[in-house]
Amino acid sequence: MMKESIRLPAILLFAALAGACSKGSNVTDRAPVDPDARSAGERLASNGRDDVTACITCHGEHGEGNAEAGYPRLAGLHPDYITKQLQDYRRDPLQVGVHIEPIARDYSKTPRFYNDLTIYTPGTRNDPVMNGIAGQLTETEIHNLAVYYGSLPFEATPVPGDFQSLEYGMELAMRGKPEYMVPRCDSCHGPKGEGFGPHFPPLAGQPVNYLISQISKWQNGQRDNDHLSMMKNTANQLTDGDKINVAKYYANQSFSVNQ
Amino acid sequence: MKRLIIIVTSLILLTVSAVQHAGEIDPLEVRPSLVEPRVSLPSNLITVPVVSPGEFFVPPMVDDIPDDKTGDMIRLGRNIFTNTQVYGKRFAGNGLNCTSCHLSEGRQPFAAPLWAAYPIYPVQRNKTKKVVTWEERIQDCFRYSLDGIAPAVDAPEMTALTTYAKWLATGAPVGVSLPGRSFANIKKTKDPSPIDGEIIYKAQCALCHGKNGEGQKNANGIGYMFPPLWGTDSFNRAAGLNKVKTAAQFIKANMPLGAGYTLTDDDALDVAAYMWINFRPDDPRTTFMMNRFAPKPGGGH
Repeated sequence: MMKESIRLPAILLFAALAGACSKGSNVTDRAPVDPDARSAGERLASNGRDDVTACITCHGEHGEGNAEAGYPRLAGLHPDYITKQLQDYRRDPLQVGVHIEPIARDYSKTPRFYNDLTIYTPGTRNDPVMNGIAGQLTETEIHNLAVYYGSLPFEATPVPGDFQSLEYGMELAMRGKPEYMVPRCDSCHGPKGEGFGPHFPPLAGQPVNYLISQISKWQNGQRDNDHLSMMKNTANQLTDGDKINVAKYYANQSFSVNQ
Repeated sequence: MKRLIIIVTSLILLTVSAVQHAGEIDPLEVRPSLVEPRVSLPSNLITVPVVSPGEFFVPPMVDDIPDDKTGDMIRLGRNIFTNTQVYGKRFAGNGLNCTSCHLSEGRQPFAAPLWAAYPIYPVQRNKTKKVVTWEERIQDCFRYSLDGIAPAVDAPEMTALTTYAKWLATGAPVGVSLPGRSFANIKKTKDPSPIDGEIIYKAQCALCHGKNGEGQKNANGIGYMFPPLWGTDSFNRAAGLNKVKTAAQFIKANMPLGAGYTLTDDDALDVAAYMWINFRPDDPRTTFMMNRFAPKPGGGH
């Protein structure tokens, strides 16, 4: 029998041990869907507003995207990812000057360290269509759209590709280009490119043209909203052939979400 | 006079050829895309060193694995290496895979690539001051970095991993320290500070590795997408990466993933020192009480 005097400390010790032994959390779990936000987002996506074009005109009836025109699918993306992208579209990409905050406050922005000075560059995405549309949206509307598209189911139709493209695309997706210090795509974008958490969007199930145009935009600076320039530096090491191969590989994958 | 004229003309010729050489666009020096680069101030402050082709050894492609029993063993070794939590589960004690540190399936230079390590062994290790064979080295990996049980020298896992490493080193010279072997060289200008390291960790590393270094699990619950840096599911006190200097050398070249060499040497050491002061499993070479009260190994830098 345990003495009364040491029982409480012993229980506390075991509780602390149990807490220390808890394993890593899983951030792929998403917040439960808010039905009001979802229906409001659905209305906006299908009808649009005064100056806002309906999302379904380009992104498809169920957010499945448009493979020919290279419009991305939105169905099943992480809501936080959609929110961040719309906010980045809304920002003026040609804004002059860098906003400097002396105290680290919002780590979701891209931080860059120079010893005593931290410069946060708010992420920007340059797109002639989306900059105009996102500029009209309010914070609530962005949230509603993110919840709606995040909750939609999606099943990819694998697009056939030539053997050599798929082979080299798989090489890049699974092993990267180690001799150029380029990491493999799957190391961040999730196994089989299914996406991981709010920061790493899925590549599988996205149109070929969309992936190619986005890597090009990373390269010429029209898209600059990643964490620590990880994607920018990676994209700068990719050749035009790499882009085509890896995009064809990911379009060839079977993939489903929210099913 | 004649000599002077010759010198002057040769100088002029040299400068002309140098100017012509500078004017040419070397396809290997510029960024490898045809897309027109646009100047954008904040991102251009971060630079990545240009890796010249041929600098590092290139191991064979996976499609070149032969279709015989050797090939089957190579494939098994690759499975164990990339998915240790399934194929090497009986020897692994924590949640890591071999590829958690040996990036890109053991191919990445400066992330302890197998193609550079295999031709070196047997060799004297500084850690034990003894000559160790390749198999004994792998046993240390399992005991310390995977915090598990050393497989026997003739275990099928050992045969598979050895065959995989030998295949990755196909064509590499034996006994030569190849460029990209083990980790990058760094030089400190000040003593590492875990307090600065915590600031850098929270701002830059925590997005993937978690606020408390707990990593992020895969969606299927098997193994980690982003490996834990400390805690019970990470490598133990005797692992190579427990050493502040070694961890900093790894961080310098490989982290943040895809943007290696963006931290300064001192920043990398700071982050490594912050990793080191946190809890991780005990050193199995010594006793429970020594692990509690003796100074932790690996703190020197």
